[in-house]
Formats: sequence, structure tokens, C-alpha cells
Amino acid sequence: MRFFYEIVKGLIKENPMFVLVLGTCPTLAVSTSVINALGMGAAVTFVVICSNIIISLIKDIVPSSIRIPIFIVVIAAFVSVVDMTMAAFLPPLHKALGIFIPLIVVNCVILGRAEAFASKNNVLYSLADGLGMGMGATLSLTIVATIREILGSGTWLGIRVMPNSYEPMLVAILAPGAFFTLGFLMALMNRLKEKRS
Amino acid sequence: MKYYLKLGGILLAICAIATGVLAYVNSVTEPKIAALKAEESIESREKLIPGCDFEEVVLRDDFSYFIARDKETKELKGYTFTAQKKGYSSIIKTMAGLDPEFRVIGIKIIDQGETPGLGANCVTDSFTAQFKGKTPDKLAVKKDGGDIKSITGATITSRAIAASLSEEIQAIKADLAKKQEVAE
Amino acid sequence: MTYIGEIFVIAMSAIFIQNFLLSRFLGLCPFLGVSTKIDSAFGMGMAVIFVMTLTASITYLINVYLLGPYAYLQTIAFILTIAALVQFVEMVIQKNAPALYKSLGVYLPLITTNCAVLGVAILNTTAVRSDGVTPYNFLDSTLNGFFSGVGFTVVLLAMAGIRQRLGLVTLPKYMRGMPIALILAGIMALAFYGFMGFKL
Repeated sequence: MRFFYEIVKGLIKENPMFVLVLGTCPTLAVSTSVINALGMGAAVTFVVICSNIIISLIKDIVPSSIRIPIFIVVIAAFVSVVDMTMAAFLPPLHKALGIFIPLIVVNCVILGRAEAFASKNNVLYSLADGLGMGMGATLSLTIVATIREILGSGTWLGIRVMPNSYEPMLVAILAPGAFFTLGFLMALMNRLKEKRS
Repeated sequence: MKYYLKLGGILLAICAIATGVLAYVNSVTEPKIAALKAEESIESREKLIPGCDFEEVVLRDDFSYFIARDKETKELKGYTFTAQKKGYSSIIKTMAGLDPEFRVIGIKIIDQGETPGLGANCVTDSFTAQFKGKTPDKLAVKKDGGDIKSITGATITSRAIAASLSEEIQAIKADLAKKQEVAE
Repeated sequence: MTYIGEIFVIAMSAIFIQNFLLSRFLGLCPFLGVSTKIDSAFGMGMAVIFVMTLTASITYLINVYLLGPYAYLQTIAFILTIAALVQFVEMVIQKNAPALYKSLGVYLPLITTNCAVLGVAILNTTAVRSDGVTPYNFLDSTLNGFFSGVGFTVVLLAMAGIRQRLGLVTLPKYMRGMPIALILAGIMALAFYGFMGFKL
């Protein structure tokens, strides 16, 4: 039962982006189109699951005074694996995500989960936590990207959804649009949270 | 002291394992990435001028062009090359095919990292198609007196592509003229 | 172009045209977290400039002289360098300049996970000068690190100034805190788009 709880909590209750406000940089930078958001989400999910598993496996042999550098090495190794694999098998996506793939290393979500969860829990729950957090990050990325792609290009996943007479609102896929979209989404989250409680 | 040695040892061991794993993954993916790149440039070259053998001419350290001759008749079909120039936020690499009179047969943007939604639209057909049939003197954006309609909000990108092409065409022309002189 | 001109181009691009925070989206966590007061924003900004300059120069040397054929170790090597560097700087400052440590100390550990620092290291490996071909040399990379840090600090300070004032206005309830900070950042990013037209 707890296994499922750990997965589900990452989606909404402890959503890394909207609730914990961690990992804003990639959320804003790669959310120009839904396909980029899904690719980034998949990469983050893979890294957070793998690093959670490994860290919960080695948590007993790691002295606490050097745990942070060790976590960073583990995470960086998985990020490099993702980076190389994507370059070999999905070159266009690799190109679109660019520098934000190596930057997954410093995505606070991953180090945060390693420190706050995986270093204290067993492998199974760490896996569930990683899966949940990864899906939560993917979900928020996709929501932001959906709004920006529809407003900014008139398409969703590359398919035209707005009528042809719709003149795309360019600002939505430019940098300012990212800030505006996330700002309004967070205000909405605040409202929903208050309504529930 | 012993304690610190132990810490160092653990850190070193973890780094060694990580390096080993990465070295393995790299050995698998590296040839694949290299092959992908080579394949892409050969493929786009053959799409621009089909049915030809290509002979490489190295012009400068960072630039070479290809002379295309028909596989059977050995008749001159044109030239291909890849030009590059800094656009707005990245280096744009454009492959182009020319006919023997140096008119553009077609172009393909093979590498760019311009702003999504603006400069990145340079890969779309509506932009690249207008280069077809242009002579080098018309390869400039309309603002600069040429024939190329720039991408909305991305004059710098459009200008860089047009300029990189016309510069390299001049270079190839000059090189060929020089060779002809020597031959005569 | 003379080298002074080149420095000017690096400075203008790093501070205004390709600002790390507003146009590259790097270093947003500390930007949103530490921008509520001018004092702390200033401390954070100085720490970032310091670490980014050092990182840019050291990672340049590592990338050119050590990594060579082992480019796939780049991410791991850079992040370890940054972590070690931050730790080292922290120790040195603590020992030799206690007053400075008091004002910067709390921000230093945060910098390891600031993606602007790793970002500048990675961007420098592929960056080219304004002619579009010459790769950055050691001095270019260091300067780029320094000016990127300055760009980060300029925007951070401006944001902190605005947010301090925001305390005096009545805002819609749900917009308070993070949402309004993001919308402000958006407006600033729009303003910075004005620099885009510069052709250097």
C-alpha cells in the first residue's frame, strides 16, 4: 500500500515543481513544446529512479560526512549515460534539449530526493519515490509546455489545434512567456490549495 | 588521519566505478553517434544532387566543397558544400547544392540552435524553398537588397544563412576560376 | 577586431543580450529564493561572481588539458570541480576573512547546485568569439565567467529591489509570493528583449 502512496504523492501533493518549487530552470527552459517537455521529463525520471535506487543501496556504507559528493557522482554518472544514449538514438531531441541534459545534475529535485528520501528508505520505496517524483516533474513540465505550445505555435505535440486564423502569440514560447505561464499556474495552485483546506 | 584516508578511498572507489560505467556506455554510443553524423551529411548531399559521384576539394582548414559528376556520363552536375556562420545564438550550418552555373538547387539547414519559434523556424520548408534557383548576388535578405524574405522576427538568423551561402559560393567560384586558368 | 572590442562583446552578451537568468534560464532557484531582500541578494551575487569566475577558468584548463579524448567524463568532472571549489573557497574565506565569511558564508554551499555555475562551464567549452570560428581561449572563458556572474547579480539586485517595494502594495491574495515574483521576472525578461537587436 505504501508503495503506491509514495508514487502518487509526487504527482500532486508533493509535486516537485508546483509545490516544492524545485528544478525551475529546466521547467522554464525546455517547455517550449510538448515533445521537448516529455523528453526532458523522461530523462529526469530515469535519472531520479536510478540514483534513488543506487543511493538507497549504498546508504549504509557511505560515511555521512562525504555523502553529498558521493550522491553528486552517482547522479552525474546517470546523467552522462542519458546524455550519450540520447545523442546516439534520439539526436533531434538531444539537440533540442541541449545544455539542459547535463544540467539535470544540478536539478535540485534529484539531489533533494537523494538526501531527503533515498538515503533514509529502502530500495523499494526509493524506487516508488523516484517514479512518483519523475512523473510529477514530467506532469508539470507537460502542463506548462501545453499552454505555451498552444498559445505560442497554435499546435499541440506538433499537431495544429487552433483554427488557421489564429495568429500565434509568439511571446508565449519566448523567455517572458515561460515566466508568465508559470506565475499564473502557481497562483492557480495557491487558490486550489486554499479551497481544499 | 586513517579516517580521512578511508573517506578518500570510498570517494575514489565510487568515482572509479562511475568512470568505468561511463567508459563502457561511451564505447557503445560513440561509434553510433559518429556514424549517424556521417550518414546524415552523405544522405543530404545525395538528396540535393542525386545520382552523382562526389569529389572533395579542400579549400581551407575548415571548409571544403564537393564536385558532383554523373555516375555514368561523368558530366558535371554541380557542387555541394556546407557553409557555417554565427546566427543569433548559435552557429548555423547550411548544406547547399549548386548547379554548374552556380544557381542554388536547394539548401538544408543541418545544424542550428536558434531561438525556438523565431530563428529555429529557419529549418521550415517555407524558408528554405525560396533559395531555390537564386544566383549568388540575390542571396541576401530583402532589407539588404536581395531576394530572401526573412523569417518573422529573426532577421539576424536569415541574414547569417544568406550571407554564409553567398560568401562560400564566391570562394568556390574564385577557386574554380583559378584552377581553370592554371589548366589553360 | 581588437581584443578590447572582443571583451566588450563578451561583456555585453553575458550581461544583457544573453543574460543567464532572463534569457538562458540558468540559476533560477537562487534567483527566486534569495531575491526578497537587497542585502542577501548582494551577498549571493558577490559569491556567485567569485565562484563563476574561478569555475570558468579552472574548468577551461581541465577541459583542454585533462579531458581531451575523455569528453564523456565532462559532466562528472565539472560538477566535482565545482563542489570541491566551493568547499575550498568556503574554507579559505572562513580562515582568512572572517568578516567576508559572515556575509557570504551562508550562500556558498547553495552555489554548488546553482545551474548557472555548471552552465557557464559547459557553455564555455563550445563558445566561439564574435567572428564565429575562434573558440574561446583561457582569458575569454574567465571573462565570460566573470561577466555572466555580473549579469546574474544585476538582475538579482533589480529583482530584490522590486520585491522589497512589493511589500508595500496590496496584491491579489493568490498572487502573493512566488506567482508575482515569476510575473515580475517575465516583465523584466520582456524588457531585456530590447537588447536583442544589438548586433555586436
